[in-house]
Amino acid sequence: MVRKRPKLIKERVPTPERPVEERVKSFVEVNLGYDFASAVKEAERCLQCPVEYAPCIKGCPVHINIPGFIGKLVEHRDDPNKAVKEALRVIWGDNTLPAVTGRVCPQEEQCEMNCVMGKVGDPINIGKLERFVADYARKHSIEDELLAEMRPSVCGKGKVAVVGAGPAGLTCAGELAKLGYDVTIYEALHKPGGVLIYGIPEFRLPKEILDKEIAKLRELGVEIKLDHVVGKTVTLEELLEEYDAVFIGTGAGTPKLLNIPGILLDRIYSANEFLTRVNLMKAYKFPEYDEPIAVGKKTIVIGAGNTAMDAARSALRLGSEVTIAYRRGREDMTARIEEIQHAEEEGVKFEFFLNPVEFIGDENGRVKAVKFEKMKPLEERDKKGKRKIVGTGEYVTLEADTVIIAIGLEPNRIISEEATGLKVNPDGTLVVDENLMTSIPGVFAGGDAIRGEATVILAMGDGKRAAKAICDYIEKKRKANA
Amino acid sequence: MGYKITKKENLSAIDFFMEVEAPHVARSWKPGQFVVLIVDEKGERVPMSVYYAEDGKIGMFIRRHGVTTFKLWYEKQVGDELLSVAGPLGKPIEVKYYGNVVFASDAVCAQAESYATLKAMKEAGNYTIAIQSFENKDNVYPEKFLAKPVADEHYLTTDDGSVGIKGHYLDVLKELIEKDKVDIVFAGGKLGSLKKLAELTRPYGIPTIVTVRQIMVDGTGMCGSCRILYDGQIKFACRDGPMFDAHKVDWDDVIKRDARFVEQQNLARERYLQKLREKGVI
Ligand SMILES: Cc1cc2nc3c(=O)[nH]c(=O)nc-3n(C[C@H](O)[C@H](O)[C@H](O)COP(=O)(O)OP(=O)(O)OC[C@H]3O[C@@H](n4cnc5c(N)ncnc54)[C@H](O)[C@@H]3O)c2cc1C
Ligand SMILES: Cc1cc2nc3c(=O)[nH]c(=O)nc-3n(C[C@H](O)[C@H](O)[C@H](O)COP(=O)(O)OP(=O)(O)OC[C@H]3O[C@@H](n4cnc5c(N)ncnc54)[C@H](O)[C@@H]3O)c2cc1C
Ligand code: SF4
Ligand code: FES
Repeated sequence: MVRKRPKLIKERVPTPERPVEERVKSFVEVNLGYDFASAVKEAERCLQCPVEYAPCIKGCPVHINIPGFIGKLVEHRDDPNKAVKEALRVIWGDNTLPAVTGRVCPQEEQCEMNCVMGKVGDPINIGKLERFVADYARKHSIEDELLAEMRPSVCGKGKVAVVGAGPAGLTCAGELAKLGYDVTIYEALHKPGGVLIYGIPEFRLPKEILDKEIAKLRELGVEIKLDHVVGKTVTLEELLEEYDAVFIGTGAGTPKLLNIPGILLDRIYSANEFLTRVNLMKAYKFPEYDEPIAVGKKTIVIGAGNTAMDAARSALRLGSEVTIAYRRGREDMTARIEEIQHAEEEGVKFEFFLNPVEFIGDENGRVKAVKFEKMKPLEERDKKGKRKIVGTGEYVTLEADTVIIAIGLEPNRIISEEATGLKVNPDGTLVVDENLMTSIPGVFAGGDAIRGEATVILAMGDGKRAAKAICDYIEKKRKANA
Repeated sequence: MGYKITKKENLSAIDFFMEVEAPHVARSWKPGQFVVLIVDEKGERVPMSVYYAEDGKIGMFIRRHGVTTFKLWYEKQVGDELLSVAGPLGKPIEVKYYGNVVFASDAVCAQAESYATLKAMKEAGNYTIAIQSFENKDNVYPEKFLAKPVADEHYLTTDDGSVGIKGHYLDVLKELIEKDKVDIVFAGGKLGSLKKLAELTRPYGIPTIVTVRQIMVDGTGMCGSCRILYDGQIKFACRDGPMFDAHKVDWDDVIKRDARFVEQQNLARERYLQKLREKGVI
């Protein structure tokens, strides 16, 4: 087939968003996504770079065949169901949670940053196209058709336990199930999803969508045991007795807190406590739901990552004025651009170069202000390429009756404390080899548990790689025993 | 998936007993550890101590406090299910030979822990002493739920003297200490009493290990809600505890943090009680 040279259309086809006035009052999703016609229009802008060198694929941590799936939308434009089914088949080859990644990946730093169209105009809106394919497929039961095709023909190739139902664990479980393994997930909380269920708010990732994604796994035969804390309810050793291999995807769920005076004051939350109350326990519906949350009129959020944006926008929706205070400059914020933009549009204020040194309380033990030292940037850069900062000796105090600390997370040590043979780095991450195997044979790990705070797609990539390694490991063991 | 209620019985004017099927917890639970349960889809996660764990079931003592515990009392009957029971959580108590072991308790969670802890301590060869305090005779549990069977010495006190010794565990303990009968004290219950207990045993250098009750969400070290100041450092009550050396805990802060949601809790309780009144349940 001779390909027609596409005409360069420099501007993106926009996706509609819920108006600001409406969205700041509710937790419903902000971005509304494409419909089929506009998705095809955006897909047509893609130059269809050859797969071997397509820069977008190189930028994607799991190397989704991006031109491949985008091309299907254009190729079958006269038959939407077929277009989406073929596109989804391509995506699922590399990523089984496109409805999630299409919403939460930092595309502007990955696929879209590399897209050649970005050199002449807007890069292709890859994230929103991915999301469109997943959403359309879900609404039209196309996923079910594909799942039926994918269900393994041979089962019982081995038994694998997966610890943690976050993106890493879910992906690993799904891949292994497709390959014919019996998989059981052990999850500490009462709902699966990891950060996707307890951290990321509904206005970015509706829970309904996540539930559907997880239902797919159950379709593939994966069993999920909730309320099971590995290291407490069952030990790693017990799992190894029962299963041929174990995958640890326990994430990085322990909040770092500031060790400064006043940290125990009332209404100073870690972002995890705040977001878990709001998202997982639906405290925004209190008292219809039982979980309480207390938010005052002025909230200060400390930090500048996705967690900080999520906390800030949630506090705003609970009726507070919100300021994000960050010790570095605007260009160093680590949150996704879309989230920063949304936060700004919704009225979150930003203060830069402020480092908290003390929380000041009132006579009832409740926070009333935060004292900050003003910082200034130096020319010198740190390992991560960020400009170093130093204190100026000048201080400011900002009023706040609620504070949310979002300065980072580290791995939970419940398993490593109990399983003494498991090697751990000083920062709490698990030590793994190039096959993602830990220091205990047959125990693999991935996601934030080995990387510290990272991203959903990296966690999924690890889950997938580990699934392959687990397969090889079990096969080898079987052959050795035969 | 649900967790079936297998027994339920009133204990006193304020507390009740409930047994739930939770084989995954029962198989590995040890004294000192707790569970987190959720009543229903709209429920919150609440920590509960365990009275016993056997045959795939766990027993709990529960105080009618607020919405969650009211729901458990008024809405959940034998045969019904709870949405979630997670655990066991927290670190177990170190069970070994200490000599004369006291367990002092003056509120619901500790009354459960008293039995569980002393049972294990007795099996480890210790001489066990239970001091169980209640406000008045309406609050005292039926004999079969007290720690008597596992205690070599058992004292029951009420604040007003309506049953047992008049006074509090602090009074009885002081006498026992003066008689040189105490090698280690375990305790739980009201935070205010624990603070006083720490001051009572400190001058004698008697090891004092107590449950630090803090408001929790996940119970696994993920949220930081239960943080306390311990020996000048931040610790999480759920993950690093819940039993801590009472002499190293900053009690004033613990007591303040326990009152964090009082306004919301009162609002929810009133709303719930109103609903019960409308339905004619109360
Ligand atoms: C608020 C917030 C917003 C974020 N936003 C984005 C974003 O927009 N885009 C992006 O790419 N990334 C984002 N991230 C980061 C991303 O969510 C994580 O990198 C990713 O979830 C890691 O996946 P994981 O599977 O390794 O771990 P997690 O998602 O942390 O899942 C771990 C699971 O293991 C369970 N678990 C832990 N210990 C045990 C145990 N002992 N036994 C049983 N179960 C256990 C936990 O309960 C949890 O369910 C965000 C993170 C946060 C906190
Ligand atoms: C380790 C531990 C063991 C416990 N054991 C028991 C027990 O055996 N029996 C028992 O009746 N209670 C126990 N509790 C307390 C129990 O969690 C509260 O009784 C329960 O949360 C009350 O919920 P509510 O909705 O009925 O009342 P609320 O009106 O919500 O609260 C009443 C009081 O309970 C406490 N509380 C509320 N929410 C929580 C929470 N999420 N975590 C901790 N405390 C909270 C507060 O002090 C509050 O003032 C224990 C708590 C901890 C931390
Ligand atoms: S780099 Fe851009 S234009 Fe090229 S294939 Fe990828 S998305 Fe299409
Ligand atoms: S309850 Fe969340 S960290 Fe302890």
